[in-house]
Amino acid sequence: MTNAYQLSGIKLSYQQRLALDIPTLTIPSGKSIALLGENGAGKSSLLKLLAFTSQANEGAITLLSQPATCPLKASQRQQIGVVDQHPYLLPGTVENNIKLALKLQGVPSSQHSALTKQALEQTKTHHLAQQEVSTLSGGELKRVAIARAISYQPDILLLDEPFSHLDQHHIQLLEEFIVNFTQHANKTVIFSSHNRLQGLAMADDVINLVAGKTTASPLLNVFHGALSQHLFNTGKMQIHSTSTLRDAHHIAIDPREIIISAQPLQSSMRNSFSGRLILIAEEEESVRLIVECGERFHVLISPESLNNLNLSLGKTVCLSFKSTAVTVF
Amino acid sequence: MNYFAESLSSAFKLIISFDPDIYQVVFTSVLISITAAIIAASLAVPAGVTMALNNFRGKSFVQHLLNTLMAMPTVVIGLLLYGLFSRLGPLGHWGLLYTPTAIIIAEAILIFPIMMNLAITAVRSADPRLVPTLISLGAKPVSLTIHVIRTTRLAMLAALVTGFGRAIGEVGAAMMLGGNIEGFTRTMTTAIALETSKGEFELGLALGILLLLIAFALNFILSWLNSSND
Repeated sequence: MTNAYQLSGIKLSYQQRLALDIPTLTIPSGKSIALLGENGAGKSSLLKLLAFTSQANEGAITLLSQPATCPLKASQRQQIGVVDQHPYLLPGTVENNIKLALKLQGVPSSQHSALTKQALEQTKTHHLAQQEVSTLSGGELKRVAIARAISYQPDILLLDEPFSHLDQHHIQLLEEFIVNFTQHANKTVIFSSHNRLQGLAMADDVINLVAGKTTASPLLNVFHGALSQHLFNTGKMQIHSTSTLRDAHHIAIDPREIIISAQPLQSSMRNSFSGRLILIAEEEESVRLIVECGERFHVLISPESLNNLNLSLGKTVCLSFKSTAVTVF
Repeated sequence: MNYFAESLSSAFKLIISFDPDIYQVVFTSVLISITAAIIAASLAVPAGVTMALNNFRGKSFVQHLLNTLMAMPTVVIGLLLYGLFSRLGPLGHWGLLYTPTAIIIAEAILIFPIMMNLAITAVRSADPRLVPTLISLGAKPVSLTIHVIRTTRLAMLAALVTGFGRAIGEVGAAMMLGGNIEGFTRTMTTAIALETSKGEFELGLALGILLLLIAFALNFILSWLNSSND
């Protein structure tokens, strides 16, 4: 199986600020991949690099096992479909926009009608074909932009925050589309999202971005600060870790590794804090708690534990986790 | 006061009676200015778009140069071209001096930097997503330029109209290079200057009123273009 992308030694800065720093990253093809991170974590910057609409200061990218640079060769440009967070459609009708894409990609004009029809059907927008783009609603506009991006049948589709500002109906249509596009057509979809649940639910694979770096950890309990001799100082609290990594400024703690108890535990766990329980929520098959103890900790427990612990909002609880549960990066 | 009122009334009579001498001059002026505007636009618009879309060494120097050229006195352009086109000049054998072609060249050079600057501004004030979208859809440099011009066409048309307005109201270069030859290179502005100095005030005034009307019309077109552009 080929890889959609392979990145090595990527560094991108905006005015001295390092926006992306990715030593290596491999993105397999034929899957749906979620790019998760907070606002400003570098999701859009990374997508722009993958779309080859901007260029990294350092590093190399291969596209479907071929070396690729900006500006992209025409044959490689045709392999990527790009949909922005706020897509721009050119003035004219929906059909004009799709035919323009086909023309710019150098698709023979004899195929334009068939490909336009196919793209509109795949995105369930055929009824909009003759509509002026200025009259489209936000959700329609996004679907038309996707239709335009897939019209020339790219192997890779890049979607920047496709689910934001969509109503439930459009979210569902989009989810169906992504599943169809990757599973039945064996194509790659890479989409960014700041909604972790959406990403995890939809994607085969997840890329986590924190402050421009990819991490293996889930995106919960990410704190920023400085590490000195196994002790990470967030400015509000100190957390023990086993790492001796230099220049590490972020930590993440797996929410499943945190143990909740009513009283402080007698154990070998180095990290033990007490705080106020401020949220209890259902999350898939577990229960998510948020405990405020200087920093806000997200904790995942089972519904049985919730019953056993007899938790209620506002109650003071104790958190404990091993120093090995802390990922430093 | 009586003199002015009488002149004004005879000027209007000249305009309404469709005096062939006056309309010959108007026709020459409009033809020269339209030709100059189209020639300048066909070079300045692609140049402006290319400059706006690309980063290169010396870009800010070119921008400063354009700004300086926009403020260049028209007699200086007239002077330089006179030197080139006069019989002893390097292009003297082309025989262009005192022809409409010489005026067209001068006006085109004069309005080129204005149009190029307006074209640059048009691209900069276009939707910032336009260019990345076209690139991601596979536009190559030439097709990118064409589609950017097509999308910003109203602003580009406004640049054309502005250039035309500047050319039709210009007097220095038209006088030096055209020579104000009746029925050949006499334009509205050179005619006004001549007729007034001859004491034919009402003829000058009639041309002045027509020139003002053209300027009014151009401004209406411009504000309409700008409002449809928003």
